[in-house]
Amino acid sequence: MSNRILERDFYNPSALYYCAVELRKELDASRACIADKLDCKPSEVVFTSGATESNNWAVACGFKNKRGNIVVSEGEHPSVYEPVMLLKGKGIDVRTVPLLSDGRVDEERLACCVDCETAFVSVIHASNETGVVNDVMRLSRIVKEKNPRAVFHSDGVQAFCKVPFRLSGSCVDLYSISAHKIGGLKGAGALYIRNGFNISPLVSGGGQERNLRSGTENVMSILSFKSAIEDFDGSHVCDLYDYAVAYLSKLVGVKINGCADHSSGYIVSVGVSGVKSEILQHILSDSGVLVGTGSACSSKTKKNRTLESMKTEKRFMEGNIRISFSPSNTMEEIKRAMDVISVSIEKLRSAING
Amino acid sequence: MDNIIVLRYGELYLKGKNRGFFERQLIGNIKNKLKGFDCELICHRGRYEVSGYDRNDESRIVNALKTVFGLKSLSIAQKVPSDISIMSDVILEKLPRSGTFKVDTHRADKTFPLTSPQVSAALGEKIIETNKNLSVDLHNPDIVVNVDIREDKYTYIYTAKEDCAGGMPVGCAGKGLLMLSGGIDSPVSGYMLAKRGLSLDAIHFHSYPYTSVQAKDKVVELAKIMSQYCGNMNLIVVPFTKIQETIHTKCNSDYMITIVRRFMMRIAEKVAFYRDCGCIVNGESLGQVASQTLQSITVTNDVVKSMPVFRPLIGMDKQEIIDISLKIGTYETSILPYEDCCTVFMPDSPVTKPTIFKAENEEKKMGDIEKLIEQALDNLEIIKI
Repeated sequence: MSNRILERDFYNPSALYYCAVELRKELDASRACIADKLDCKPSEVVFTSGATESNNWAVACGFKNKRGNIVVSEGEHPSVYEPVMLLKGKGIDVRTVPLLSDGRVDEERLACCVDCETAFVSVIHASNETGVVNDVMRLSRIVKEKNPRAVFHSDGVQAFCKVPFRLSGSCVDLYSISAHKIGGLKGAGALYIRNGFNISPLVSGGGQERNLRSGTENVMSILSFKSAIEDFDGSHVCDLYDYAVAYLSKLVGVKINGCADHSSGYIVSVGVSGVKSEILQHILSDSGVLVGTGSACSSKTKKNRTLESMKTEKRFMEGNIRISFSPSNTMEEIKRAMDVISVSIEKLRSAING
Repeated sequence: MDNIIVLRYGELYLKGKNRGFFERQLIGNIKNKLKGFDCELICHRGRYEVSGYDRNDESRIVNALKTVFGLKSLSIAQKVPSDISIMSDVILEKLPRSGTFKVDTHRADKTFPLTSPQVSAALGEKIIETNKNLSVDLHNPDIVVNVDIREDKYTYIYTAKEDCAGGMPVGCAGKGLLMLSGGIDSPVSGYMLAKRGLSLDAIHFHSYPYTSVQAKDKVVELAKIMSQYCGNMNLIVVPFTKIQETIHTKCNSDYMITIVRRFMMRIAEKVAFYRDCGCIVNGESLGQVASQTLQSITVTNDVVKSMPVFRPLIGMDKQEIIDISLKIGTYETSILPYEDCCTVFMPDSPVTKPTIFKAENEEKKMGDIEKLIEQALDNLEIIKI
């Protein structure tokens, strides 16, 4: 595909000549594919440069007229949390809802925070830190029951294609997704905008995407979105997850952050006491095991907001690593990775403790 | 009409019979800097000129020249035929619409019919005749116009002098080994001694996996920025993990930093010796942190026997150091947050008044320290900057 787009079909899909029109049809096919997956109308899907833009857009323009209060969970991704905090800095009433120790948003506290003045609510669908899934279907209904005018947004980046979910029947107004989290190219994301919900554009200009998101379309990344959805088969990932969780739970001084019962099965957050996560990450990457770190190593640098909200012990936060599974992973790889992790933890602990 | 860049050197004036040595070093360094530009360097006695360049390159050439130690100032001059009316036209273009000025003439071409004061007077008169809003002020003018009548029947006209880096040409004072940590101070200390003519190699201690690959990349980046001033250097990366682990497990934790620094000094001295460096340079500033008290410096300095350790920042405040790092462009890189992973080993309260006796006792617990040092020296990584 990439060669064809770069060499032969290097057209601007918004042009009017026929070959560009053909390309436009392909873009719309990608849109239709996303809509089908989310169970919404294609006209409700607007392409963006990625989930960071989708989330920023949702916050900046979903919170209309800059009146009323905003309610977000403490487990939001920075691309939701930071724009919300900017609004807070400008004097907007922002209410943050803590997480339960199992990693889910505290439903009761959420309901308490929403009142008749609430204008915008955002709850992450599957946590980027712990993989724990919030019941967005239910939460959106709770919010709308308390205040039908409150806009409900959810960041669905880690849930899309991974967590069974249909937008129809939910009370979600805005929903962010990204191509590269399911194996598509970087540089394409989308924002679902419920039919009838008026939102002003964040990026204006040439009027692409029905005037909602200007800028020449990122053709290649958007087309890859469709193939990524079609090719995505995560049926065996739960086996990998179950193996990893069972293995890690047996290790001494190791804790799984968040409750496995509520996990998407694609991320496991592990707290390792007595080590610093960045150092463990270095050792693991030398053995070919690539993991994320939730928190940076030094006491000076930033904290892990999600784990803090879950009241995770400090020793597990400092040694927190995040293991993500992809459908392309095999059981053999995970078994080897777990052995490497176990050996590395011991090696590091003995080097530090003598 | 061409532009030329006039270069002046500073302290080299003070040199006597060996001035040629310093000048050769300076000219070589300037030529090095001008590689990649299509231009000509002409060296007169006491003054150099860069000419024949594309006008679009001018600001880049000027910026490059400003990083050459040994040059004191430069001016961008217009080169015109030695003719009073042409000169006055050019000067009028350079002067603002109104204000005071003074013409300062230097006549190397003694066949030119007017003397220097006469040229100044003639030009001044022509200028105020043409623009009534301008007036002459010989004592406190807004602008000084320099008119330099050269022997080749051309005259250089310039109004401003721009400061260059000053100091002595890099290389004329020999070579030193800079201890480059990745913080704010060490690049500045290297800069200060390069300014005094020292060429540099740098040594960095790397404790992977306790410090990250990015921490090393950051030091490489700092060395690159420094090399604009200091010329080419080699960065010697010492694998330090084993030594640090041994110190951590064997020694008393409050002496940790003291011992670590003694090992760094020992290794630096050996590397300096092998690489023909005549001194060690570091960024210590008295009392800045626990390891930089007089007592700490005494204990760490004690292991170096064969060469001086220069600490050009010893009497400077942090803010003064930061100001220089901003000026030379290392600050933004220095403050990238990559190096503090070593905090895993750092004690809560390091000793501020260590003694040599106690440090030696701690080191005795470590077993064969020569072997540890040798292992590190056998696995040096040398990066050409």
